[in-house]
Amino acid sequence: MTHAYWNRNGLTRRGALAGLAATTALTALPRTARAQDVTLRWWSPQSAPLQVEAYNHQIATFQEANPGIKVVFETTSDEGYAAQLAAAFSSGEVPDVVTHLPSFSIHTYYASGLVEPMNDVIEAVGADDFYDGANDVYKAADGNFVATGIGNVAANMLWLRTDLMEEAGIDKQPTTWDELRAACQAMQKNGIYGAPLPYGRNSMTTRIFVGVMHQAGAQVFTPDLEVAIDSQETRDALEWYKSMRELCPPGATNYSWGEAITAFVSGATATGIYTGRVLGNVVAQNPPIADHITCKVYPTISPDVKPWTFNAFPSVFIPAQSRHIEEAKKFAIHLFEPEGMIKQLHAAPGHLLPVLKSINANPIYQDNPIIKKYPTEVDRMAAAAADGHNLGYETKAHRSNDRAGDVEGTLAISDMVQRVVLNDEDPNVVVGETAKIIEDVMKG
Amino acid sequence: MNPARRTRLEREYALLGAILIAPTVLIFCAVIVYPLVSAIYLSLFQVFTPTLEGSWVGLSNYRELLGKEEFWTSLLNNIIWTVGTLSLQIIFGVAMALILHQNMWFRSLARSLILFPYFVSTVVAVLVWKWLFNDLYGIMNHLLIVSGLTDFPIDYLGTMPNAMISVILVGAWKYFPFVVIAVLARLQTIPDALYEAARIDGAGPISRFFDVTVPQLREVLVVIIMLRAIWDFKEFDMIYLLTGGGPITSTQTLPLLVYKEAFKLNQMGMASTYAVAMMAIMLVFMILYIRRTRSEEDT
Repeated sequence: MTHAYWNRNGLTRRGALAGLAATTALTALPRTARAQDVTLRWWSPQSAPLQVEAYNHQIATFQEANPGIKVVFETTSDEGYAAQLAAAFSSGEVPDVVTHLPSFSIHTYYASGLVEPMNDVIEAVGADDFYDGANDVYKAADGNFVATGIGNVAANMLWLRTDLMEEAGIDKQPTTWDELRAACQAMQKNGIYGAPLPYGRNSMTTRIFVGVMHQAGAQVFTPDLEVAIDSQETRDALEWYKSMRELCPPGATNYSWGEAITAFVSGATATGIYTGRVLGNVVAQNPPIADHITCKVYPTISPDVKPWTFNAFPSVFIPAQSRHIEEAKKFAIHLFEPEGMIKQLHAAPGHLLPVLKSINANPIYQDNPIIKKYPTEVDRMAAAAADGHNLGYETKAHRSNDRAGDVEGTLAISDMVQRVVLNDEDPNVVVGETAKIIEDVMKG
Repeated sequence: MNPARRTRLEREYALLGAILIAPTVLIFCAVIVYPLVSAIYLSLFQVFTPTLEGSWVGLSNYRELLGKEEFWTSLLNNIIWTVGTLSLQIIFGVAMALILHQNMWFRSLARSLILFPYFVSTVVAVLVWKWLFNDLYGIMNHLLIVSGLTDFPIDYLGTMPNAMISVILVGAWKYFPFVVIAVLARLQTIPDALYEAARIDGAGPISRFFDVTVPQLREVLVVIIMLRAIWDFKEFDMIYLLTGGGPITSTQTLPLLVYKEAFKLNQMGMASTYAVAMMAIMLVFMILYIRRTRSEEDT
């Protein structure tokens, strides 16, 4: 039967096999030709539509200048990047360039030999063009730079509705926690809540609360990276954070970045806590309040304690397992080209702030409607971010902490907040247990 | 027949059998045995996920697991979630199947639409439910406030017991169509004569349901319960996207704990230990299921 079938169609087994072999050979030919091309995978958690549009412009100009190199942009997320990178590193299928991740996460990877030093990229961009100390946060114990900054952010700016302040008879922007709480109490009416502080089990709660701890004079680690969270100052921070719960929307118990910014931008809360992304979102989504918003550094427990701004130090780094290190470095350098970089910064004006002096001084960068409309706010954020810190860089005196990413990953700090605020557990016990968890992480 | 010749023939048949079964065995080894052995092997090491480098720790991961409160809390959450959502799936599923079994208008359309939650992607379903639950803009809170049932929005996902109840309800909504399909298929095979006989004997609708329908559905319900118990026990994406395991660890089930250990704490060894423990627990369900299906085959 089979034989008849072959004959009926004028085919023979030998002919079919020859055809198959020829098809295979033809399929292999373009592969050989394509093998000379390079495809770079670029990951970033910053993926608002306008930002992706700016990235596509940067990719297009790079590809035009570098025939044979193709760049593919892939989105990751603030809450998911750690898992995605862990899977990528363990499988060896890594992205070639990763941008906008917080500085402390990269130190963890570098300590395990997973990240390529970026010294030559910094040199190529122009080390002197970076703001003073802008790359200090990326310096590893061996003196190498594990990444370089692609922008600055001031993640915990206090956003205020000036119209609501006026209505409530508040004539002074709060500088202490007591003043802030009083202001929120006065403005919480007519369905508007005082503040959208996050109480969720996530990285935002961790990062914001690390800021609150510092605003109380506490710290998570000593400069020598001994765990120092078990202190009276931490308990003070928890007590204040708990007292603010009644001034936040009910769902703040599950808030992360998206919910927190939406609450303020939509007008549901009288104050906000976020980066400069608020500016663009208010102008686009709620223009009636656009002339009634301002920002300042978040208040502290008392005038004696200096403000503390959380700057994630969004970065550019290259995984050491990348098969195209040289091309990836070339692309990383290209990201700092003024035209593309300015487009990228303008995609979220005020959210990401320049790390290069030449970009900030560039008239094209300054010629943006939002930057021009809110010069005071942009200046305040730039100053706060320049003096900013994070969990891996709590003060300038702190040693580089290559376990900070793991500490955030345990969610121990956000769990601590939830246990005290939502479960009403004894802060003394909770803080002690949290210290133990962090100590265990530090020991590995 | 010559014994020597028979032996040779048998050898040839045995060889042919081995050759024929080899692909199946190889695939089975690649997709079942290898991951299983790997998981057990990894559970005996302390492994850093990104590099997969590790050191031998023997059974100490298991000792740590047994002494860890988080494991027992997560197991308890897992049981509460599985029992809660499965019960609602069965109740809603059977009820809906009975309704769709009746002669009604647009029955075919209704039968198709009822499958929607089961087919919709979990990510989309969670996004929709998160908007419904939203404290500021969600329709659920809006309706409650407008109707005067409450003065303030309810926090559905951030406090207990609301978070667990919400997760269980969303799970029931998402997966009850599976029960509907299976039960409906069985209902269509129950002979009408049984109901007619019951009617002649004076049985009302309730009696007919308990005395005719339920006994006829028992076999299929056992299979559904076993399968759904296994699938619900290892549910990850829906719970993770809805609550992330919070508040604190109140909705953190074992799959979420495995994920946290493997990818947030980068402890692949410990994560494998949790996974092996999960597997041992699920083995009980599987044995029950296999026994049940075998007994069905026997009868």
